[in-house]
Amino acid sequence: MSGPKRGWEKAADIVAAAGGQIVGRTKLQKIAYLLELRGLGYGFEFEYRHYGPYSEDLSDAIKVAGAFGLVNEEERRATWGGMYSIYSSGQRDRGDGQRATFAGAAVDVGAIELELAATAAYLHVVERCTDPWGETKRRKPEKATDERLRAAKEAYARLAGLPAPRPLPRI
Amino acid sequence: MTPATKMTPNPKPQRVRDPLHNLIDFDAGQFEDVIWRVIQTPPFQRLRRIKQLGFSELVYPGATHTRFAHSIGVFHTARLLMRLIERHITAGGGRYRHHQAQVALAAALVHDVGHGMFSHAFEGIGKQLKLVMAKHEHVSDVLIRRSEISDVFREMGSGFANDVAAVIKNGRPGNLYDAVVSSQFDADRLDYMQRDRLMTGLQNGGIDFAWLMANLEIARIKTGVDEEAIGDVETFVLGPKAYYAAETYVLSLFQLYPTIYFHKATRAAEKLFSVLILRIISLAREGQLSKIGLTKSHPVIRFATEPESLDNVLALDDAVFWGALPMLVDSRDEQIRDCAKRLGERCLPKCIDVRHILVAEIGLGRATSPRQRSELKNRLERSIASIETKLSNWSKAHSTGVPRILTDRAVRDPYRRFEESKGPLNQIHIRMSGNEILDVASCSPVIAAIESFELFRAYTDDEEARSVVHRVVKAQLRGN
Repeated sequence: MSGPKRGWEKAADIVAAAGGQIVGRTKLQKIAYLLELRGLGYGFEFEYRHYGPYSEDLSDAIKVAGAFGLVNEEERRATWGGMYSIYSSGQRDRGDGQRATFAGAAVDVGAIELELAATAAYLHVVERCTDPWGETKRRKPEKATDERLRAAKEAYARLAGLPAPRPLPRI
Repeated sequence: MTPATKMTPNPKPQRVRDPLHNLIDFDAGQFEDVIWRVIQTPPFQRLRRIKQLGFSELVYPGATHTRFAHSIGVFHTARLLMRLIERHITAGGGRYRHHQAQVALAAALVHDVGHGMFSHAFEGIGKQLKLVMAKHEHVSDVLIRRSEISDVFREMGSGFANDVAAVIKNGRPGNLYDAVVSSQFDADRLDYMQRDRLMTGLQNGGIDFAWLMANLEIARIKTGVDEEAIGDVETFVLGPKAYYAAETYVLSLFQLYPTIYFHKATRAAEKLFSVLILRIISLAREGQLSKIGLTKSHPVIRFATEPESLDNVLALDDAVFWGALPMLVDSRDEQIRDCAKRLGERCLPKCIDVRHILVAEIGLGRATSPRQRSELKNRLERSIASIETKLSNWSKAHSTGVPRILTDRAVRDPYRRFEESKGPLNQIHIRMSGNEILDVASCSPVIAAIESFELFRAYTDDEEARSVVHRVVKAQLRGN
């Protein structure tokens, strides 16, 4: 008998929807947030943190997903000296075409660009910011170079064009 | 204009006697006069009625210190850190930016101004009910931008209050000045780690504050997002002579979690408090005010019926809650009556440390290889998830007053090399003797070996519920 999905199963589903692998905690969080905005998410709650929209529940759930063997987390050292994680799942999403299409496209966006795009969307939706890209640049000056912002806007437009129950906000 | 917001005709130096820092001075210059007058505003004075450690005084009778005292201590510590930054910048021939420094110092003072009654316990309730005014970050932001506090800040410039709010809300990782507000060595942590230890009377968990400060330096470190590099930012690093002080700092934090912040009795009281407030809000929303035992105009009821009002959340503090207890013990609702009586008499449910039982039974401490340990930890995690669900279901089905089994689960990392929510400046960096700058976990085997502090407890009062907990745990151990 299968009841409603639990947090760790939902977290594992996100990795599966993204094609079975997500490189980086930031990318996992931002894909999950954008899925929520498009009506393809799992009900994780997000708030603004250092890297933009962040869900503590998702962060906890992905750890438990590891314990259940649904997701494998491998930690690696980045060239800049910090650590990052690679989440992989033996599963690939076959249940919801729109979710897999969207997550599969989002996972191909660079981590920094995805963070900028998700942050701008969050600022518009939650903080009612009238110039979300400008505010994103102001809050993240070291990341939001003109080039990266342009790439983030292009990625956002691509993601907005994919089919989903809800549109991404026009920003 | 309230008295606090009026300009002082002849500002004079002020001082506060503090149990941790001794004398904290405020000079007669414009900035510190403004800081002094912010302290006099009603939103800041409210912090006198919110204890820093909430229910911890039920365990440590001395821990009655307030967020008011802590906030002033944070300002004092931030000022010490800022002097370090000023010395560093001027020694390098750079320009010390007074405005940015003052914004960060002001942010250090008012960072906690939005805390609700019993701080984190209240926030937990807000999270369950999605109450935005129970989030201290949100309330702080509103108070700093639009209250008597912003009226006083305006004297420093029309955008000063907004700049202060932005530092607290967002942080700017590339901005060295903001490191005093948000970094591994921020003034908040440097104050509370010492103050909480002092006021509880704890004898372990101490840090070598003077040595850390004497060896705190500023250097550029690399940052990135996931595997992608961004560039360099300036932040605090420790000199090579503070290597052991850095280890002690992290270990102290690790010890403070179980001994103070997650003490089993404190958490039991927080659980009762949550059940009580959730029940009050539920009844108030159903219009059953007469059952609760408080008048319609009582601050708790006003908040329960209109939680989105800033005035209503500000009217709540620890003193208001304790003052409501004598009425709540006469409530017509069994759950409210039970919880109020127990909190008032410190009759707390008894703790069964389920995680400890599981760790011993699974044999986590006897693992012979990292791989076996990892497998056992996964088994532990799975067991906890399953047991938690079963206990919650049983409690829901068999309770009328206070839930007969309350579960408590938490994880805290005293140190992680990388934390997505906090960013790279949450790491501790050491400048080694060869001038190489390393994450402390890369050079200290002690720090590298620290695992998360995790707890999973069940609280019960009656024999049947206790036996249910033990039975569920045993069944789980047999089953996996």
